[in-house]
Amino acid sequence: MKLQYEPKQVYDVSKGQALFKKALSLVPAGIYGHLGPSEGCMIPVSAYPLFMSRAQGTYIWDLNGNRYIDYMCAYGPNFLGYNDPDVDAAAIEQLKKGNCTTLIAESMVEMAEEMVNTINMADWAFFGKNGGDMTAFAVMIARAYTNRKKIVLVSGYYHGVAPWMQKLGYSGVTEEDLANNLYIDWNAPDQFEKLIKKYPGQIAGLIATPYYHPTFVDNQLPPEGYWQKMRKLCDDNGIVLIFDDVRAGFRIDEKGSDYHYGIEADLSCFCKAIANGYNMSAICGKEKLKNATADIAYTGSYWLSAVPLAAGVATLRKAKAIHAVEENAKKGIKLTEGLKEVARDNGFDLRVTGEPAMFYLRLGNDFPSTILHQEWVTECVKRGVFFTSHHNHFINYALSDEDMQYTWEVADEAYKIVRANHPDANYIK
Amino acid sequence: MDNVTRAKINLFAVLRNIEDLCTMDPVSADLIKGVDLGVEFNVPEVGSAVLTFKDGKCKFTRGKGKSALKLYFTSPEHFNNLIAPPTDPKTGKPKMVIPIFYNVFKVSFLLNTFTKLADRLSHYLQPKPEEKEELLKDPAYFETNTILTAYTAFYAMSEIANSDFTGKAIARRMPDGVIACAVGGTDLAVNITIKNHHFVTNKGKVKDPRATMIFGDLQFAHDLLNGKSSSFTGMGTGQFQISGYVEMLEQMAKLLTQVNYYLG
Repeated sequence: MKLQYEPKQVYDVSKGQALFKKALSLVPAGIYGHLGPSEGCMIPVSAYPLFMSRAQGTYIWDLNGNRYIDYMCAYGPNFLGYNDPDVDAAAIEQLKKGNCTTLIAESMVEMAEEMVNTINMADWAFFGKNGGDMTAFAVMIARAYTNRKKIVLVSGYYHGVAPWMQKLGYSGVTEEDLANNLYIDWNAPDQFEKLIKKYPGQIAGLIATPYYHPTFVDNQLPPEGYWQKMRKLCDDNGIVLIFDDVRAGFRIDEKGSDYHYGIEADLSCFCKAIANGYNMSAICGKEKLKNATADIAYTGSYWLSAVPLAAGVATLRKAKAIHAVEENAKKGIKLTEGLKEVARDNGFDLRVTGEPAMFYLRLGNDFPSTILHQEWVTECVKRGVFFTSHHNHFINYALSDEDMQYTWEVADEAYKIVRANHPDANYIK
Repeated sequence: MDNVTRAKINLFAVLRNIEDLCTMDPVSADLIKGVDLGVEFNVPEVGSAVLTFKDGKCKFTRGKGKSALKLYFTSPEHFNNLIAPPTDPKTGKPKMVIPIFYNVFKVSFLLNTFTKLADRLSHYLQPKPEEKEELLKDPAYFETNTILTAYTAFYAMSEIANSDFTGKAIARRMPDGVIACAVGGTDLAVNITIKNHHFVTNKGKVKDPRATMIFGDLQFAHDLLNGKSSSFTGMGTGQFQISGYVEMLEQMAKLLTQVNYYLG
């Protein structure tokens, strides 16, 4: 790729770093969770801005006023672009009428109707706040419907942070929390079949993401016929098939990722993209599960707040009108093809895996340590392109061709810096 | 926590510190002057180890070896009681724990020199709570305490990964590779090799690790190993630097938490 550009300015992130020191004294770990420097794999932390002053479209600005093209999209919620005017207008209009009230706003029914009309498998919809609310509820529904205890999970899973969703040895998690979990590998219907035989009539549900997208490893799409086999095993054995579409929902197919891969799940969990950053999540289900769902005590103080639901309605309507899911996939392909070319030009073997709007990057050159890739990511962040080294990225609709061009330039400069720092590494010729 | 894992930690992580103690602690170095003896410890379900004292130095070896004094314990609990004697309810003092020994002519070493070495090890690893803060103000004590604590933790971590129920569950999630750990501004370095979910800890630096974990300085290492700071906080402040295949370090951090349960 022929690139001509002026060297990029390395950002001063001192204001964010100073605020982080204050945060460390007031908040455990300063910034906890996936947005923090530890789980966010910000290496070294001193290079990262940590706090934002504002956001718009595909950009975030840090406290020093530096602009970043944000390829993490808040780890998924930014779908149409930060502060999308149509979504915000719907939210503000609802805010003027009321938000968290004793009587429920019409936006709940509108959002349910929008989900049922959009998601192929959906006969009904139910709302919460976070993805984990919905995956936990899905498991309860499966147990209530089947009167069985055990749940099958696919290794490398992430379904949230409730104790049963975590793993043995994680802080605060007991063996008893995991007592009813059974595990299979990704792409292993034979293992699922063995478990069904080993625990006859005891497995309530199988919960899985549409494709394999754990952190730190290449993502894998389902091979031909995989989901059909799993669907049949569930059908034949009275097991509820739960799709955790929290991350991939509306990044693969607006009708649901199960539809994209040729099946219908019994329950599908959504969050992230569905309200373009307004805090809501949803679960959609088949008619047969509706009564069991209705009988479960499951609610929260803000779950039916009207503003996020109104934002959700506006998000889905706009996404369908502008074909955002398809367009984002095209942008993902264009961006990553360019990145691969830039990498190759510099002697780096960039591997891109996963669905295009949720691409995962790693270098083949420095396997198994990933140190070169980490350094490249940090050099990109220092120049205004926010990638991560451990997690899949996200595309939002506001990403433009100019943003991609800027990204390729930064990527090129960053690869040259890494190569200069490691002249003896294993480069492709 | 199980007694077998605890005994493995006591034998292969705690007792092995006598090797370093005899180098770092002048009192201990003085105790072993002129001693020429191998002492073999044998613990059922746990294994064997030898402490070899020669030329003013001590060497710890895993497994059986040349030794004039052989000690046998009837159970993991029996050995654990030697390392951390239970209190005698009648006297309020620690109970005397006597192993079955082979070679009566060398038993005076066990009752005298070895007991004193064990006391020196306790002085550094388990100081009396009322004396600890004052002792830590002495830079030499602080350094020895921190280094021995670090060695204990990293060696104990491998025992937990290979033996403890929860540790093995964490180890099953660990890919193959070498993790390098070091403390900035010191020569303290250990490496952990993982192959087929089996862990081996060794001292020293390695080339081309899959992941690295660097404690900024001895003070931060001390704070983290003593529960006065957290790895997440340290990463935020830059006192705890990681790089490479971070997933390995995440799992290792969970194993180090298990170390606290055993040794805390």
